Amino acid sequence: MNSSEPKQQWLIRLQSFWQTFSKNRIGLVGLAMLALLILMAIFAPLIAPYTSSSSAEFQVGDIYNPPSASHWFGTDDAGQDIFSNFVFGARISLIVGFFAAFISIIIGGVLGLVAGFLGGRWENLLMRFTDTMLVIPDLPLMVVIIALTKPSLLNIIFVIGLLGWTTTARVVRSQTLAVKSRKFVLRARAVGAGNAHIISRHILPLVMPILVVQAVLVVSLAILNESALSFLGLGDPTVLSWGQMLNYAFGRGAMSIGAWWALFFPGFGIVWVVLGLTLLGQGLEQVLNPRLDTHHLMPGRPTVRKDRVEAQTKFTKETVLEVQNLSINYINEGKPPARAVENVSFTLNAGELIGLVGESGCGKTTLMLSLLRLLPSAGQIVDGRVFFNGEDLTTISDEELNKIRWKEISIVFQGAMNALNPVRTVGDQIAEAITRHMPDFPKDKIQARVIELLDLVGIAADHREHFPHQYSGGMRQRAMIAMALACNPQVIIADEPTTALDVMIQAQILELLDSLRKKLGLAIIFVTHDLGVVAEICDKVLVMYGGVTAEYAEVDTIYNEPRHPYTQELIKAFPDLTKPKKKLTSIPGYPPRLDNLPVGCRFAPRCPAVFARCHTEQPILHNLGNSHIASCHLVEASK
Amino acid sequence: MNRTRALLKKIAWSAFTVLFVIILNFFLFRILPGDPARAGIRDPRLKKEAVEMLRVRFGLDKPVINCFESLNPIKVGSCAVNPLDTQFFIYTRNLFQGELGISYHTNRPVADILAERLWNTVLLIGAGQILSIIIGVVFGIFAAWKARTSVDYSAVIASLLVWSLPTFWLAILLLFWGSNNGLPLAGKSTPGSSSLPLIQQWVDIARHMLLPTLTYTIVYMGEYTLIMRSSLMDVLSEDYILTAKAKGLSTFQILKDHALKNAMLPLVTVIAINLGFTVAGAIQIEAVFSWPGLGGAIVEALGRRDFPVLQGAFLLIAVTVIFANLLADLTYSYLDPRVKVD
Repeated sequence: MNSSEPKQQWLIRLQSFWQTFSKNRIGLVGLAMLALLILMAIFAPLIAPYTSSSSAEFQVGDIYNPPSASHWFGTDDAGQDIFSNFVFGARISLIVGFFAAFISIIIGGVLGLVAGFLGGRWENLLMRFTDTMLVIPDLPLMVVIIALTKPSLLNIIFVIGLLGWTTTARVVRSQTLAVKSRKFVLRARAVGAGNAHIISRHILPLVMPILVVQAVLVVSLAILNESALSFLGLGDPTVLSWGQMLNYAFGRGAMSIGAWWALFFPGFGIVWVVLGLTLLGQGLEQVLNPRLDTHHLMPGRPTVRKDRVEAQTKFTKETVLEVQNLSINYINEGKPPARAVENVSFTLNAGELIGLVGESGCGKTTLMLSLLRLLPSAGQIVDGRVFFNGEDLTTISDEELNKIRWKEISIVFQGAMNALNPVRTVGDQIAEAITRHMPDFPKDKIQARVIELLDLVGIAADHREHFPHQYSGGMRQRAMIAMALACNPQVIIADEPTTALDVMIQAQILELLDSLRKKLGLAIIFVTHDLGVVAEICDKVLVMYGGVTAEYAEVDTIYNEPRHPYTQELIKAFPDLTKPKKKLTSIPGYPPRLDNLPVGCRFAPRCPAVFARCHTEQPILHNLGNSHIASCHLVEASK
Repeated sequence: MNRTRALLKKIAWSAFTVLFVIILNFFLFRILPGDPARAGIRDPRLKKEAVEMLRVRFGLDKPVINCFESLNPIKVGSCAVNPLDTQFFIYTRNLFQGELGISYHTNRPVADILAERLWNTVLLIGAGQILSIIIGVVFGIFAAWKARTSVDYSAVIASLLVWSLPTFWLAILLLFWGSNNGLPLAGKSTPGSSSLPLIQQWVDIARHMLLPTLTYTIVYMGEYTLIMRSSLMDVLSEDYILTAKAKGLSTFQILKDHALKNAMLPLVTVIAINLGFTVAGAIQIEAVFSWPGLGGAIVEALGRRDFPVLQGAFLLIAVTVIFANLLADLTYSYLDPRVKVD
């Protein structure tokens, strides 16, 4: 009936897989190496100049003749042509590899699926058994079993197959566990689908990719094991595998005669097939289970800037941080750069608290990270300047910048769980900041300083010896603030420090930051998506949308005369205690994707006041006086 | 409290695994032809009293185990036997007394033969493991740090290549190279060197160890490089590395103080799991270089059909690996503060 439909789906899936795989160089090289060898094995009788070793006329020359025109790889201890044996040997390796791996994959796959799917007692039992088998060294066990039975090809295949399933079982189990709790599996179970149906229809297709990668690995291990067993003299005496060839050559004087060819070529065959499989496995893994392969220590991209006349700014004494026309791109290979932040400017004075507001994905964190050049390696400052006390942070050397990081500008990261190193005590991590930036600080007073800092944020002194996982969420956030204060910085960037905390803790943290600002004269940039938070403590507000400044003004102006529809909508979306009966509204839709920004105004698709021009032309920043800035065509009209 | 319980659990599991190996060994050698105990009795030259003595020593006059008189599973025997009076128990008791049988070939107790060889294998694996781990960790650090540069790509490709080398073949190639460069090719020391002063003896052993250790190091360093690389890549993309960078620490300080310990932790587990596989390499290396270790004992026993030695060697290797595994496990829980809570 509908058998053609799933078939087509398979075909489509296969095609899309091949599209990505055909761009993977490692995988293609591996596949080519393997394909070449399989062809050689299939057409062995046509390729080999002499017939298989079972034939009587195989005796063709003197023993241990070096490679020559008639014997490309020389001859062995029995005068046989090594090239012919090499060609036929490929068959043995592939047969053992594929059949043994087949057995291993079936056993490991079934055990892993059953253990992962059933869970509980069964899983415990099966995984204990797997772990036990994993610990027992497999080659010695294979040696013992084959030594005690007949060393036939069939026996070797079975022994390798029956002992090689352990890693497969582990891998399949963890994948099954991961898949099992996904929505569609739970849904299938809720509508009463049977276990067999769920496994075959919902779980197996998702376990399959990992099983394929694993299978390639198991084949290569089986081939290596076969060669080792044969070399140790446990191979099937009636078939000449590569390992067996090496066993004969090594045991029969090739070394003392100096017949390197008898020892080199068979081993080369093993390396060829195993390397081919390994590369193929790597390629498959990269395609089926792609990982980003980036990290925080990869070198950042150098700042580039359009050469243009800078608007000369007058630095007043209070100005600590001055951001001018900052633009940031994310560069992805093979794709046009994505504009994450565009033309953002703001000024931060000493003791001031500025709120940076916007939904997730509006470029807030990107903007903050770029101030200290902490962007991921794909991020690049493409325009603008960041002045800190008159020095441009976008161009100074890394060494200079490292002196400013944390000493002058520190960051309280969001979700402090992972922002603290899990294997070092909290006190140690705070002390590290002091020793790094204040080399003259007396060593014996560092502990006292750490205690003082923790006390400042309300954490008892003895907690400094504890690890981050022993802290509660709120405590970690406060410890992070203590660490940010360690070097008496002029500026603290707080990147959503209260997100993911409960309301009571949020209020505590906010109060803490506000009181520290008043006590220590700190300038703070407070990043949040919650306008309510901003109302309580900020002096100025910068509202961002889709990477651009939507509105920038004093906090009172923002609340009383918001000019940008986005700001207006944000204000409607949070509760006002003075007007308890007011209806809360939310803004339908989501912020634009960075790689797919609308042509005109970025807010146009969601804007309640949208008109034709918004879809074609991006609004510029309009200065409304009294350092109130908004980017909306409506503002221009009413100016 | 929790930690003690976790520790006891691990020890109990190791003990269970050892028991499993003993059972496996017992049945493997009793079921398959070549049981050392019975093969000894079949020797026609033995006198009747000697046969009887062997039968009692190995408990062959007793039922195999409760309910089974012989190894024929269809023939059910009496279950009401004292379990202490079965072949299995006698076999186990013998094991714990270090009674592994007599070598067919040398007529010496197997336990004595293996005891001296165990240390040679431990020496070889120890030296090889330490070197391959150090090199692998260093290469892995460079590969991860310089991710997606030519340094990284060369390290990964080279690692995959050495991983694909059959151990015994690399050993043969190095042996070939060594034979042209005047290095000792076989054994652990030059015959007659025991009369030399101690320092010279050590130098002699070190020269003999050079090629086997080199083989071992090359074969396993690729795997450690890859593991270290991926582990460090994971750690370096964690938030706390960004914190460290924001703190103004230099790249070197971040690697040393924030990334390495965290990245090495998974490596300890992998080393433990890998021990079972690395023994396979040691056997092949010992076979090529005639290194007088357990692997060499296995190879010799294979050639001579010396089953008691084979059985004993397998048992000793398995138990050593299980023990080393336990040790690595305990090291891990000591190193990682988070384990205390779990």
